[in-house]
Amino acid sequence: MASGIEVSTECKGIFEEIRKLKQHRYVIFAIKQEREINVEVVGRRNASYDDFLDDLRKGGPEECRYAVYDYAYHHQCQGASSTCLKEKLFLMLWCPMQAKIKDKMLYSSSFAALKKEFNGVQKYIQATELDEACRECVEEQLRVLDRN
Amino acid sequence: MSGGTMLYGGDEIGALVFDPGHHSLRVGYAQEDSPKAEIPSVVGIGSSAPDTNLDPETKTDNNVTPNNSDGRKFYVDTNYVNVPRSQMEVQTYMKDGMIDNWELFEKVIDYAYANVIQSEPEYHPVLFSEASWNVRNNREKLTELMFEKYNVPAFFLVKNAVLAAFSSGRATALVVDSGATHTSAVPVHEGYVLSQAVVKSPLGGDFLSRQCRQHLEKLNIDLSPVYKIASKDVVKERDNARFTLRKLPENLTQSWQNYMVQLMMQDFQMNVLQVLENPYDERVASQIPMVHYEFPNGYHQDFGSERFKIAESLFDNAMLGAGQLSSTSVGMCDADVRLSLFGSVVVTGGNTLLQGFPERLNRDLQLRAPSNTRLKMISANGSVERRFGAWIGGSILASIGTFQQMWISSQEYEEAGKSQVERKCP
Repeated sequence: MASGIEVSTECKGIFEEIRKLKQHRYVIFAIKQEREINVEVVGRRNASYDDFLDDLRKGGPEECRYAVYDYAYHHQCQGASSTCLKEKLFLMLWCPMQAKIKDKMLYSSSFAALKKEFNGVQKYIQATELDEACRECVEEQLRVLDRN
Repeated sequence: MSGGTMLYGGDEIGALVFDPGHHSLRVGYAQEDSPKAEIPSVVGIGSSAPDTNLDPETKTDNNVTPNNSDGRKFYVDTNYVNVPRSQMEVQTYMKDGMIDNWELFEKVIDYAYANVIQSEPEYHPVLFSEASWNVRNNREKLTELMFEKYNVPAFFLVKNAVLAAFSSGRATALVVDSGATHTSAVPVHEGYVLSQAVVKSPLGGDFLSRQCRQHLEKLNIDLSPVYKIASKDVVKERDNARFTLRKLPENLTQSWQNYMVQLMMQDFQMNVLQVLENPYDERVASQIPMVHYEFPNGYHQDFGSERFKIAESLFDNAMLGAGQLSSTSVGMCDADVRLSLFGSVVVTGGNTLLQGFPERLNRDLQLRAPSNTRLKMISANGSVERRFGAWIGGSILASIGTFQQMWISSQEYEEAGKSQVERKCP
């Protein structure tokens, strides 16, 4: 079941920039005029996670968004003495509690379209409150994917 | 908005949304915030004998459909069903979450078009919600009915659990829906129901109504619904009620009287019952303030611990309790989606408005989920959203501009027949 909303070509291009070329830290997307998913904010490579959360909520507390984030963290394999840097892409559906039902419906029913276009995302995260979008929660979910 | 390449070329404004449930059928226009009407899912069937009842509400009107081949009369909607009439049987058209008696169902749809929508069916695309376990036969039958009998320009069928998940902002969720006749746990993954993992139990609002009735009958409380009562006096608490009976038509059927008592019990349970956050404990329950309730005949008293004890039956059942139901359903899904299902449990359905229901479910799930799980419950705060969650979801979906290409158009139906519904509405 899907809403039929499409992903703009701009989104596809910028996704490759973040996935392959690692030019940005994160990208935030919004649905424009109930027709198409467009790029809203592009985060610099050296931006922090808090910058991301600020940008995510820039539209106001009632606005839904999508985001792709290239998350980096240190991982220590079991038995290894040194740690290695890991980078994982996650795709987030941000539908705050206060958002209008109309927007929640629009964004959640169009999430599938984005997933289909963005190959190479390791984790999908749905968040309705900040505690689900916060750094700790996200990192925990990404680390589950690693073998110990 | 103009959609040049869309198969369905009609005016997109004015789609209708139908959300059938065991308690009622919700009907209204897409894009509106709440349904225009909530029609009870029962139909009164009168005998062919001439109606001698002079009640003003029974005046002849287009609601009553006489001159059926066997001369039966059908009464639809609260204002007509709730009137005492001799030999009127009450019957529901739903069974196990699905439409079962198509003859009665058509009467209700006829009524909805004539009295609620007040427009011709051929001008409005129709979106229906359905139970997640609906069977192919039923789905095709509904498609056929809407295109053949009502000539709708376009049709769509969506699972109500998907609508509930989407309207809570989730594409993946475990939807726990407690309604009139059952409670179900339906895993939705990326907008599709994982139908092999749907779990349901017959413990819902009607079950509680029966429990309440038994309990009150044991207490020797007279359960005269409001239709029996002509006048009543104010009495002191727990004093015997003083009331006079109304003059009623003869031969009221048992099914109708039961239905009226059930309506009264629904009011009682919504006002009085409450779920404790922890399993029932007499000492805890007796410390919570009592709740006062007045019956239609004027009798009134306080209810204490029993109001928790009755509600407890939704949770303390080893197999069918709401918490067990939900964790069983998650357990039947692939290991990699379990965490995300526990991470978004959407609570919906009229019965979950019972005070304390979401909190208790949360506690019961916490106990059953693996210890490192982040459990997250999502329940709409407003009672309208909780009761009409699926309808509201459908209302929005049908009004999204890009959704217009998803409908089954009448042209497609003519070309490929009713099996279209399996292809276009998975």
